[in-house]
Amino acid sequence: MHETEQHDLSDDADYAASQHQESTSNLSCDSGQATDPTESEVVYSKENVAIHPSQYASERISGRLRIVKQGSSSFLSWIPYKAASNAADSLGRSLNSSVSDKDINLYTIKAVSLSDICSIRRHIPTLGWQYIIVVLSSGLAYPPLFFYNGGVREFLATLRHHVFIVRSADDTNVFLLNDFQDPLQKSLSSLELPGVIPVAKGASLHNSSDPGSSIVDSVRVNSVTSSGTSSVSGYRGRLKQKSHDPAHDLSIQVLEKFSLVTKFAREATSQIIREFQDTHELLYEKKQKNSAALPSVTISQPDVKPNGTQRKEDLVETPDMLEFDKPSLVWGKQRQPPLTHEEWETLVDSEGRVMDSKDLRKRIFYGGVEHNLRKEVWKFLLGFYEYDSTYAEREYLESMRKSEYETIKSQWKSISEVQAKRFTKFRERRGLIEKDVVRTDRSIPYYEGDDNLHVTALHDILLTYSFYNFDLGYCQGMSDLLSPILFVMRDESEAFWSFVALMERLGPNFNRDQNGMHSQLFALSKLVELLDHPLHNYFRQADCLNYFFCFRWILIQFKREFEYDKVMHLWEVLWTHYLSEHFHLYICVAVLKRHRMKIMGEQMDFDTLLKFINELSGEINLDAVLRDAEALCVCAGESGAACIPPGTPPSLPLDLDAGLYAQQDDEVL
Amino acid sequence: MASRRRMLLKVIILGDSGVGKTSLMNQYVNKKFSNQYKATIGADFLTKEIQVEDRLFTLQMLILPFLQIWDTAGQERFQSLGVAFYRGADCCVLVYDVNVVKSFDNLNNWREEFLIQASPSDPENFPFVVLGNKIDVDGGNSRVVSEKKAKAWCASKGNIPYFETSAKEGINVEAAFECIAKNALKNEPEEEIYLPDTVDMAGSSRLQSSSSGCEC
Repeated sequence: MHETEQHDLSDDADYAASQHQESTSNLSCDSGQATDPTESEVVYSKENVAIHPSQYASERISGRLRIVKQGSSSFLSWIPYKAASNAADSLGRSLNSSVSDKDINLYTIKAVSLSDICSIRRHIPTLGWQYIIVVLSSGLAYPPLFFYNGGVREFLATLRHHVFIVRSADDTNVFLLNDFQDPLQKSLSSLELPGVIPVAKGASLHNSSDPGSSIVDSVRVNSVTSSGTSSVSGYRGRLKQKSHDPAHDLSIQVLEKFSLVTKFAREATSQIIREFQDTHELLYEKKQKNSAALPSVTISQPDVKPNGTQRKEDLVETPDMLEFDKPSLVWGKQRQPPLTHEEWETLVDSEGRVMDSKDLRKRIFYGGVEHNLRKEVWKFLLGFYEYDSTYAEREYLESMRKSEYETIKSQWKSISEVQAKRFTKFRERRGLIEKDVVRTDRSIPYYEGDDNLHVTALHDILLTYSFYNFDLGYCQGMSDLLSPILFVMRDESEAFWSFVALMERLGPNFNRDQNGMHSQLFALSKLVELLDHPLHNYFRQADCLNYFFCFRWILIQFKREFEYDKVMHLWEVLWTHYLSEHFHLYICVAVLKRHRMKIMGEQMDFDTLLKFINELSGEINLDAVLRDAEALCVCAGESGAACIPPGTPPSLPLDLDAGLYAQQDDEVL
Repeated sequence: MASRRRMLLKVIILGDSGVGKTSLMNQYVNKKFSNQYKATIGADFLTKEIQVEDRLFTLQMLILPFLQIWDTAGQERFQSLGVAFYRGADCCVLVYDVNVVKSFDNLNNWREEFLIQASPSDPENFPFVVLGNKIDVDGGNSRVVSEKKAKAWCASKGNIPYFETSAKEGINVEAAFECIAKNALKNEPEEEIYLPDTVDMAGSSRLQSSSSGCEC
């Protein structure tokens, strides 16, 4: 709605920075910066208002908060300074900034009409930075805006001149904006602030207070970096008293996420996520966390909240919606039909090179591949084929590999039974494989029936692999990974080499030292902490932070959780590494989030949770989860990537040349 | 809390790959046998409501095959792994295949593994039950571990109750699990206290105990 009105509030970082250079010491109420000669007027401007996308000081983004009046409407904007100026920002701190312009733009709050703001929650701790959280009528919230120089009171005082504000009866730190006769806002606010809003319309319009009066409350800017953590911790200590407020359950990361998703949705899909949560706690100060249970262990259930309207139901994940995959909750892009043969032809040049591998991977990420095309395309995704190889090169490769496979296979084929008798390791390995292939996907017609040749092929490939990679050998789960590959390739050698390529990435899942699985489970716990803090707290309180209940999901890439054709689709999506090499972890988060209310509401303990997760098998809507995971991955952004230690599978091991996939780090959002 | 806890009986089922742990559990819970079970990945979990001595209990049965892959010895970092799964176990069922001698030989490893991981407060009296499965195979002709041998081992470990079963035919499964439940019930509820360094393997293996075998 503001497109025509906001041109004077450019969200361009360069513009903002140049503006920043011009205006040097304005702390407030600078009215001289209107760039639109006609009618916009800057009625409030505040420097050094920052967003903290993560707990890292280097990622804090400073910017300018403004209120601009345009005709009868007023707008709030927060424009970050350019990355360079953030790196050595106006506070004089020399930050080793890890924030890119791209991130900065992502967080920018374009002109938002004050009439779209539902409430503002202020936090004025005695120690530490003051901040506000702006909640929109849509239910979305922006991340906390930290006033490094103080001044939240005068901000609110200024705001009063431009929009109708009442203070919440339930929480003196919450200020409700606008007309509560509007049914949407009413429902929102009644949920956000249980109880009523008894303040009569028109009451308590205060006069503006002295803009500088509260600056003394704030922490000295130059001591910020060192005192930040301790002051936050002190603040949290005091907050614990208010643990009955369900709002405590919800973390700032969540707000941050919503904010990002707004932009994501606005820019990419126009689908708005309507979840509505709030917080008092500076939970993202992860360093402060210890093993003590947070006050937020009692998780509020939306169905016991006094939520009035159906619309509000949409805002909170209720168990019903979570389990029935209501489309309105789906965030990511609409899934596309699978890549067809005709399309594929247009993506390779006359000699067979894939012209734009990123484009191809993107296409597959959103739609998968038609089954009859998988045999060819999977080899690229897995890394068996190079994207820039020609038909001729690939044909040559195949023939070389074929004889190579036969050579390795002959190594165990030639072991006589007399030899085997004296070769325990071999017998054990063979025994394990024999036991597992006869119980791998036998209900799939391809592997059905007695003396099935494809089962024999599974056996032979796995045993050959255990010779190709003798150190790793065979582990349960490998037959699950191989089965769809052989089903697609329908050729022993091609299946073998595709499996080899897959195991280059997933092999560490089966390492005896458990590091591969451990690092993924660890990364998963960090992602949940980032993307669903209440759930994280719950898992911590229930002593489930080891995430072993997700073991099967990760070990064999959800092979047991979906039907066969869905598994193939999921795998090709994962193998694109399009948004992240670790997209499977976001899928874990997405599935957990879909069931979060049930998990927390029923207070599942470790055993119950394990059983519950196991029994989700066959019950997960893949498309919906893919879309959720996509949105979560985009939301988490760099913070999400930072949760995942380098070298975590399926990343290639650190000491290997990343080669083919080296470029992908740049593409992770 | 304590009373609620007693309503749950948690049983850990251990044994080599392919001895029929999942089949036994499914036969007991669902009265079904399938040739198409998949190798358990991670952990399998079933529950059944049972009645023991006129009281109702929920029997939780947990299969943990991954420990085959994950040799936790010396990996202190992952000790918690086993603990997480074994927490609150009331009884441990050791399964072997009477047709595979190796699976019998490994019973001792499984038992010790459990005692290390679960660290029960009284390892010498912690209830185990041993099941020799697949007695139906080939009409018993392919059998390599005799009942006598198995019973001797059980006796040497403090009179562990022993059952010969066929998950496929449903032979003895019900009786075995009844015994398992009774033994689980006898277990003291203090096993939630973990004393990781107190397991004396040598001591536990030559115990004198008159362990309450199930004379069912």
